[in-house]
Amino acid sequence: MDTATTTCAAGDLAVLLSSSSNSTSSLAAATFLCSKFTNISNKLSDTTYAVDNTYLLFSAYLVFAMQLGFAMLCAGSVRAKNTMNIMLTNVLDAAAGAISYYLFGFAFAFGTPSNGFIGRHHSFFALSSYPERSGADFSFFLYQWAFAIAAAGITSGSIAERTQFVAYLIYSSFLTGFVYPTVSHWFWSSDGWASATRSDNNLLFGSGAIDFAGSGVVHMVGGIAGLWGALVEGPRIGRFDRSGRSVALRGHSASLVVLGTFLLWFGWYGFNPGSFLTILKSYDRSRPYYGQWSAVGRTAVTTTLSGCTAALTTLFSKRLLAGHWNVTDVCNGLLGGFAAITSGCAVVEPWAAIVCGFMASWVLIGFNWLAKKFKYDDPLEAAQLHGGCGAWGLIFTGLFATKEYVNEVYSGDWPYGLLMGGGGKLLAAQIVQIIVIVGWVTVTMGPLFYGLHKMNLLRISTEDEMAGMDMTRHGGFAYAYNDEDDVSTKPWGQMAGKVEPTSRSSTPTPPSTV
Amino acid sequence: MSCSATDLAVLLGPNATDAANYICSQLGDVNNKFIDTNFAIDNTYLLFSAYLVFSMQLGFAMLCAGSVRAKNTMNIMLTNVLDAAAGGLFYYLFGYAFAFGSPSNGFIGKHYFGLKDIPTATADYSNFLYQWAFAIAAAGITSGSIAERTQFVAYLIYSSFLTGFVYPVVSHWFWSVDGWASPIRADGDLLFGTGAIDFAGSGVVHMVGGIAGLWGALIEGPRIGRFDGNGGRAIALRGHSASLVVLGTFLLWFGWYGFNPGSFNKIAVTYQTGTYNGQWSAVGRTAVTTTLAGCTAALTTLFGKRLLSGHWNVTDVCNGLLGGFAAITGGCSVVEPWAAIVCGLVAALVLLGFNKLAEKLRYDDPLEAAQLHGGCGAWGLIFTALFAKEKYLNEVYGNRPGRPYGLFLGGGGKLLGAQLIQILVITGWVSATMGTLFFILKKVKLLRISSEDEMAGMDMTRHGGFAYMYFDDDESHKAIQLRRVEHRSPSPSGTTTTPV
Repeated sequence: MDTATTTCAAGDLAVLLSSSSNSTSSLAAATFLCSKFTNISNKLSDTTYAVDNTYLLFSAYLVFAMQLGFAMLCAGSVRAKNTMNIMLTNVLDAAAGAISYYLFGFAFAFGTPSNGFIGRHHSFFALSSYPERSGADFSFFLYQWAFAIAAAGITSGSIAERTQFVAYLIYSSFLTGFVYPTVSHWFWSSDGWASATRSDNNLLFGSGAIDFAGSGVVHMVGGIAGLWGALVEGPRIGRFDRSGRSVALRGHSASLVVLGTFLLWFGWYGFNPGSFLTILKSYDRSRPYYGQWSAVGRTAVTTTLSGCTAALTTLFSKRLLAGHWNVTDVCNGLLGGFAAITSGCAVVEPWAAIVCGFMASWVLIGFNWLAKKFKYDDPLEAAQLHGGCGAWGLIFTGLFATKEYVNEVYSGDWPYGLLMGGGGKLLAAQIVQIIVIVGWVTVTMGPLFYGLHKMNLLRISTEDEMAGMDMTRHGGFAYAYNDEDDVSTKPWGQMAGKVEPTSRSSTPTPPSTV
Repeated sequence: MSCSATDLAVLLGPNATDAANYICSQLGDVNNKFIDTNFAIDNTYLLFSAYLVFSMQLGFAMLCAGSVRAKNTMNIMLTNVLDAAAGGLFYYLFGYAFAFGSPSNGFIGKHYFGLKDIPTATADYSNFLYQWAFAIAAAGITSGSIAERTQFVAYLIYSSFLTGFVYPVVSHWFWSVDGWASPIRADGDLLFGTGAIDFAGSGVVHMVGGIAGLWGALIEGPRIGRFDGNGGRAIALRGHSASLVVLGTFLLWFGWYGFNPGSFNKIAVTYQTGTYNGQWSAVGRTAVTTTLAGCTAALTTLFGKRLLSGHWNVTDVCNGLLGGFAAITGGCSVVEPWAAIVCGLVAALVLLGFNKLAEKLRYDDPLEAAQLHGGCGAWGLIFTALFAKEKYLNEVYGNRPGRPYGLFLGGGGKLLGAQLIQILVITGWVSATMGTLFFILKKVKLLRISSEDEMAGMDMTRHGGFAYMYFDDDESHKAIQLRRVEHRSPSPSGTTTTPV
């Protein structure tokens, strides 16, 4: 009798049942039946793992596509003479990030069991005895890696066009390997002191902070780090003229900006809905069609609506403010809408996402105005967009999270959005998150950038900045449209204007006094 | 898999009730878990298909950008971004409701405004997102026909109207369970006993976008310099980047794997229980037919253009490829792979033919959108009527013994009749709605831009500056390949002004 399959042979069972008053036969019949059920149960369990891992892996690939999107966005937003530099930093974020996150970043983030501050279980370092005892699989590692390199990518935007490549390597490894994993531990691991999934029930304000896919953990971390890099370095030469008026240093390709923005939008469908990690879960037996798959779909919808609304709002407000329809501004507004909805995408209604995007657009416009006032130069508006709209996103969640969705996603009976009648505890936790992230990133990345600056490892020389780093550090200009343009064989090249290493007729004022 | 404890208890004898309850509850758990699994798999499949269809928006943005002159790049890309953004809002508010609100009448839907009552047993958020991605594709197509000479405000107006009303109504007719021409009509009263078969939208998406574009371009007239005033000779206004054209084409190809196979909406459906014969095979087969049609169209175009114009032309091959995809979209799930090859071959010829006709009639379409999406889309519907296989129709659209199928396979002419009705009705509806809209926009002088704007390029005059700046000392009007353009006195449109 074959008890290893899920098929059932009636003849076999009948023999056992025909004398069921006999306890030995009943036991045999019961054993037979139970083994069938166990087989089915195992098969269902296998199926669940396969489905969930497929879902998470493909979500991870989507998040990885955002790295390409950000590379294109950065490339298009900087001047042509620095294109190769900025794209190389994006490639290296991914590459160096893989090594540092594999070796120790992932362990700091999710090593369990651990304390509230940082992960420390030995089996997570270099994935040594993973995935045993972790409750997760390689798909989870890959997914989290894709997030980690996103955070580092953001920062590179703020310090673009004037940062030494060695400084990129140092800050990027430090951010991806330590600063970012620690923050993700606080808010996303089951041990984290502020996590909404904290397993020992000692949640911050009885709520924990809700940052579903990382408005704070990813966007604020990347943005605040970028803020400090850009502040310590100072603005690009020529960004603010002697009278303090701001001069637009336009990006060299609007096509790359739009390409990058759309790729980021595409990848965001892995970033937000993917943060559920699993999709095969029922929520309500009385409505069998309603489960985590519905919440995943709803999250994709809230994400979409927030971005769309932010784009439209930016379109019309820039038309009013600047007098024309500007595609690159609309793209930035769109991304601000996504950065904001990232925190609460899973726990708000679609109509609330429209509010989120609308406000995010204004938050970005406001922070950009503030940056201009304070002569703060950020080539990608990264601090304003990721830092500013990220912070707004956390507050938005504290206001609009609905009771039904919070309880479904976080399994329990928790505080929810203030404007939905849920009291102020969640909002308080969100505000604590904002403060703590700003503080932590400031005391880690601030001194790092300052130290690099003091050792003359941060900003490039004036000559390099005028010539463009592609020429001076990266082997030549990124583009060569006519044969005689190919300057890779010539020193300095004629296209960028001849730059002598020593005497310069009109030396621009040093950055700190512009 | 229901289990009745009382029935089982009788069979098991004394003390059997508890045993029966136990067994039945186990089976009940198993049943629930299977139901959950099915929903999870189907939603994963549909969501990822939706993301792929969304990536076609990016593909079309790049294709458009590469196909227009550099001075209008920012303009056309902004229209593609806004198609998606405005479409998101309007399709959420009422577009989806007009399309799929059920129960309803045969003309238009009337439930689910603002996604009220979603999810239901038959429609979840994934369905909405998937349909949204389709809706914005249709609006994107139209922008290609009117590129390089349309006021931005006109884009906003036509795009909202198309995505929020014109397109949803058409999708209601052919795709909803209430639509008068739908092959899945709930009350069984199918047009000609079959309903029109347009699986992923050769008509609903491609013809709608293409015919709308046709009217816009007709009413606006050709771009300045496109047709030489004296002999009416056509002058190619070449796009500024072949790389962007190829990038866009490949992204569209990539996304089409969501557009066609994804239109099954579900993958975890068996056709013959306990075997490998299930909807997952049909999904795979659909991806294969899609691929073959595009490939054949590309090759046919390659050699066709080599004969006609004397060289191997990548941008033409890209357009041919896309024409193959637009054509197979209607019947991709119900034809054999060999038939898809026929589809692609003819689609390439159809596109070449319509392009020749356009030149003859002095019709200017920067993306060949009306010829490609309108023309190849219509061919795709006819192709389906000729080659649809009975077995596949029964699997995909429900078993109906004696249903009409492909004329060339012996299935009679009723399906062809339904497809021709679809072509006529779409042409008529879109002409009546979008034709009128474009005409009104022209009358209130909101449609075409001024001659000065057209000569200078809209990026300069309306969008904040030139799209590209390769050298620091480039002023935005002195960049590569563009001579300085002075504002001169207005010249009447469509005359002998030579292009920059």
